[in-house]
Amino acid sequence: MDALIAPKLKLDRVGKRFALKPGEAVAAVEDFSLDVRQGEFLVIVGPSGCGKTTVLNLLAGLELPTSGSLSIDTHPITGPGADRGVMFQDYALFPWRTVVGNIEYGLVYGPAGRNLSAAQRQARVRHYVDLVGLRGSEQKYPHQLSGGMRQRVALARLMANEPEVLLMDEPLAALDAQTRLILQDELLRIWGQDRPAHERRTVVFITHAIDEAVFLADRVAVMTSHPGKLKALLDVPLPRPRSDRTRGDSQFQALAQHIWSLIRDEAYRATVA
Amino acid sequence: MNSAAESRIARAVAVPVILIGVWYAWTTLHPTPRTPTPGRVAAAAVDMIASGDLPLGVLQSVGRVFGGFALAAAIAIPLGLAMGTRRAIERNVDPLVESFRPIAAIAILPLAILWLGTGTAAAVTIVAYAAFFPIVINTVAGVKRVDSTLLRAAATMGVDRLTILRTVIVPGALPSIGVGLRIALGVAWTAIIAAELAVGAKAGGGGSGGVGQMMFVFYAYSIELNRIVVCMIAVGLVALLLDRMLRALNAWLMPWTH
Repeated sequence: MDALIAPKLKLDRVGKRFALKPGEAVAAVEDFSLDVRQGEFLVIVGPSGCGKTTVLNLLAGLELPTSGSLSIDTHPITGPGADRGVMFQDYALFPWRTVVGNIEYGLVYGPAGRNLSAAQRQARVRHYVDLVGLRGSEQKYPHQLSGGMRQRVALARLMANEPEVLLMDEPLAALDAQTRLILQDELLRIWGQDRPAHERRTVVFITHAIDEAVFLADRVAVMTSHPGKLKALLDVPLPRPRSDRTRGDSQFQALAQHIWSLIRDEAYRATVA
Repeated sequence: MNSAAESRIARAVAVPVILIGVWYAWTTLHPTPRTPTPGRVAAAAVDMIASGDLPLGVLQSVGRVFGGFALAAAIAIPLGLAMGTRRAIERNVDPLVESFRPIAAIAILPLAILWLGTGTAAAVTIVAYAAFFPIVINTVAGVKRVDSTLLRAAATMGVDRLTILRTVIVPGALPSIGVGLRIALGVAWTAIIAAELAVGAKAGGGGSGGVGQMMFVFYAYSIELNRIVVCMIAVGLVALLLDRMLRALNAWLMPWTH
C-alpha cells in the first residue's frame, strides 16, 4: 500500500557535511534515505551527536543538504516554510511576548493566519491555550513560567499554526522525569491519537530516550553516528490510544530492549571515549 | 511614617550628608578667601535660583541635550540595526565609527562653529556627536546578541525578513539599545559644556547660554568658584533625574526584563 501513496516527506540519499576549516569537512549525515508517511508519528532515536538534529533541520529547510534531496509532497525543500512547523529543544519562545503573544505570533505575522479574521484568530489561540492547559496564564511572560509550562506554550504555538508537518527536536529533554511522562501522554492526545489516522498530522520527533521513542512512535528510525546513518527502521505495533499501561506491556519492553541493543555499543563508546 | 520608610530615607541621605560634612571639615581646616565652602555655595545657589539664571540655564541645556540626543538616536539606531544585520555594512562602517569614537566632542567644536555658526545648532550637533557612539555600538551588540534560534523559529513560521527585523530583532536588541541610550544621555549631558562653548560667551548673558556656558563664564571671565560648584551640583542632579526617567521608560517599554 505504501508504494501507492506518495510519502509526505521523502529523504533521498541525503548527505550533510560541515566545513570545519577550509579543505576539511565532517559528515554529520550520510546516505540517509527515509519516507515519512502522511499522518504518522515517526521518531528518530540515536546517541548524542548522531546527526538527529541535522536531519530535522534539513527537513525544516533551516539547512540545505550537501548531497541528495528532500521533498514534501514531492516538492523539493529549499528553505523554511509554514507547512513545516518546528518545535525547538529550548522552545525558542519570544521573551518579550506573553503566552498569548507567543502562540498567536505565526498567525499574526506569518501566512498561517492570512485567511483568518481577528475573531477567528483569537478563537484559535484560545482553543490551543485550553488544549495545552494554559488557561489563566495567558498574560504571563516566558520567564514567569516553569519548564513544563514553557514547553506547553511552544507546543501550542506550533499547533496554532496548524502546519501539515510537525518537526520536534527533543522537546521534552529539558524536563524532569515526571513532567516528561505526563507530557508524553498529552502530546499523543493533542496530536490526535484518538482520531482516525487520516486526520492526524505528520510528526517527526527526535529524542535520545528509547522508552519515549517506543511510547510515542508509529515507527522508530534508529540512527548511528560518525557519520549519521539510518541503522534500522522499526514498526511499533502497540495499539492506540496508548496510556500508562502501554509502558508496562511486554512488547513495549522488548522493543525498547531491541533498540538499546542496536545503539548500545556506540553509546558506550561515546561515553567512555 | 513607618520605620522601614524612615530607614530607607536615612540610607539614601547618609552618603550625601557625610560628603558635605567632609567638605565642611576640609574647607574649615584650610580656609582661603576664595574656597567654596558649603555655606558660600548655598548662598550662591539661592542667589542664582532667585535671579532665574540657574533655572533658565538648566532648561536651555536640557533642551539642547534632548535635541542632540534625539538626533543621535534617530541616526544611530537605524544604522546600528543595519550594521548588526548586514555584514557588508558593518565591515564598511565599523572602522569609520571606531576611528571617530576616540575623538572627543570638544575637538569637533571648531568645525561645528565653522559650518553651523555659533548657537544652538552647533551645540546640538556636538551633543549628537557625543551621544551617537554609545547608541550605535550598543545597538550593534544588541542585534548580535539576539538568540539565533528565535530568528529560525520565526522563519519556520513563514515570516518574511522585514517582519522578522521588526518583530524579533528590534525587540530582542531593545534591552541593549536601552543601555546604549542611558549611557548616551549621560555622555550627552557631559558634552553640554563643550557644546555650549559654541554658543558664544556674550550670547545674551545670564542663563541664556545654558549651564555649560555659565560654567565657562564663571571660570574664564568672572572667576566665581562658588557659582561653578552650584552649576556642578545642578548638572549632577539633572543627570541623576534624567537617568531615572530613562530607566523608568526602559522598564515600561520592556516589562519582560524584570
